[in-house]
Amino acid sequence: MSVAVESLSFAYAPAGAGVSGITLSLEAGEFCAVIGPSGCGKSTLLRLIAGFLTPDSGAIRIGGQDMAHVPARRRDLGVVFQSYALFPHMSAAENVAYPLKLRGAPRAERLRRAGEALERARLSGMADRLPGQLSGGQQQRVALARALVFQPRALLLDEPLSALDAAHRAAMRDEIRAIQREHGIATLHVTHDQEEALSIADRVAVMRDGRLLQVATPRTLYDEPADAFVAGFVGHANLLDGVVRAPGLVETAIGTLACATGDHTAGSTVTVFFRPEAVRPDPEGAVNRFEGRVVRDRFLGSLRRFDLAVAGGCILGETASRRDIAAVGIPPEGIRLLRR
Amino acid sequence: MNKAPALTLALAAPGLAVLALFFLLPLGVVVAEAFRGDALARFLANRELVASLLNSLVLGVEAAAVALVIGIAVALHLARLPPGRRALIQVVIALPLTFSGLIIAYGFILVLGRAGFVTMLLARLGADPATVASFLFSEWGLVLAYTYYLTPRVILMLVPVFANFDERQLQAAESMGASRLRALADVMVPQIAPTVAAAFALVAAVAIGAYGTALALVGTQINILPLRLYSMVADSGADFPLAAAVSVVLLAVCSLLMAAAEIAAASSEARHAQH
Repeated sequence: MSVAVESLSFAYAPAGAGVSGITLSLEAGEFCAVIGPSGCGKSTLLRLIAGFLTPDSGAIRIGGQDMAHVPARRRDLGVVFQSYALFPHMSAAENVAYPLKLRGAPRAERLRRAGEALERARLSGMADRLPGQLSGGQQQRVALARALVFQPRALLLDEPLSALDAAHRAAMRDEIRAIQREHGIATLHVTHDQEEALSIADRVAVMRDGRLLQVATPRTLYDEPADAFVAGFVGHANLLDGVVRAPGLVETAIGTLACATGDHTAGSTVTVFFRPEAVRPDPEGAVNRFEGRVVRDRFLGSLRRFDLAVAGGCILGETASRRDIAAVGIPPEGIRLLRR
Repeated sequence: MNKAPALTLALAAPGLAVLALFFLLPLGVVVAEAFRGDALARFLANRELVASLLNSLVLGVEAAAVALVIGIAVALHLARLPPGRRALIQVVIALPLTFSGLIIAYGFILVLGRAGFVTMLLARLGADPATVASFLFSEWGLVLAYTYYLTPRVILMLVPVFANFDERQLQAAESMGASRLRALADVMVPQIAPTVAAAFALVAAVAIGAYGTALALVGTQINILPLRLYSMVADSGADFPLAAAVSVVLLAVCSLLMAAAEIAAASSEARHAQH
């Protein structure tokens, strides 16, 4: 079922933090990740949709119905929390069966369905264990099974992976995506990990200070960020203040760069943006050529990420080459100008 | 430790000696005294004594119940406070635990006695001071005074349990379709019940065994077991075997409750230890 919020606003009483004017919609079966720095309002957005908070204004539609003032228990949404929020006094099977119990399913049926859900989560041998006897990843899978067993209208995931160690996180990420596809359920996934968001989601929403900055596919978000904040938050980026001098020429602290200036007129101030992988360590014949000295060199296995100190600033670059670097070229097609 | 058993024994000796001299020996004497002859049978045949035992149980349950209700409310509130403020308030709350029962009784007499502060205030509003004071010197006055020092024990036991409870569990239950009340009943109550039961048993045992406050407030007007015991021991020419029997019964009742409290607390601890 689809999930949509329109002009949604909420302020925590004294401080005034919260979210304002959020409009976002998820198609049925779509996986949307919400990212942003801590305190940006992404968890607040999830709690509003879940019904744990009541919005000051705006609409929350689930399958077309406005749910903004419907209590959480009648919204029919599966929620997975960062802490999993499993019931420690109930076994894994009882946890998963609990939503069915609330729906009045007979004991035999709910135990059978819980058993099936646990089997799908590869936890069939763990049905009688208490949450405290399960590993973090197993608890996570129980929480997910519990959130899905009653066939909710949408799934809300609040930082579900952040309590796992790095090794399990990547595997669990793929598993969540596979389960979501299998159920074909609209899913909102809140995370502070932009890499997780890019790898898992159909679309990614970026939030800052309670506002939605951009909603786009991971590729668009990465290649065509709406502003300098999104560019810097999603992946690594070179961001330089610049002034358009003439069509095709932008002046920055590190020198004048040739690039497409589009409809930015001469004299307008812009943010010059290019990804580190656009920086070429073999600048023969390059248009934007900069000489300098590598001041930091991080070896990351498949690539190197280096800081090249140049006159007036620093350029962040990435390369697979292991040779010494003394100059780089920045192809004009790798540069985008963002409005400031 | 294991490397120097002799030293360990030497260090433990004074403690063991004190334990033997002031605990095991008197306990042994009292128990032996109680079971010698027909003391226990005479206890059971004495209507007054049996009634005092029942009164004590009722008083203990009443005082514990009141302390539990107030304690749960306060502990729920404290659990939601930031840890710094919580610690500060807990110190204040724990203060009554350091007062002797006599001091507490005296404090209540100063407030609610015949010339007490509150009594005088109520008298200005037209109440009869004697009526107000007679409340304090009745069974419910005792319950009030007991509640005063039992409630902090309840609070101190419950706050950690409430503070450690992840409220997201309630939200999770609600998101699955449970009402707030249903979520509390299915999710929170089973998790806090063992500690609440333990707190109840503990404070009931304390109330049943206490006598200082009772003696100061009601003298021997109310027929409860500790006061019976007191007058038996205080009287000259006392019936010591009967007093010993009373002691053993009182000890048994309190120990039983404490054991129940310990078992309940241990079972909840065992469950929490798995996390």
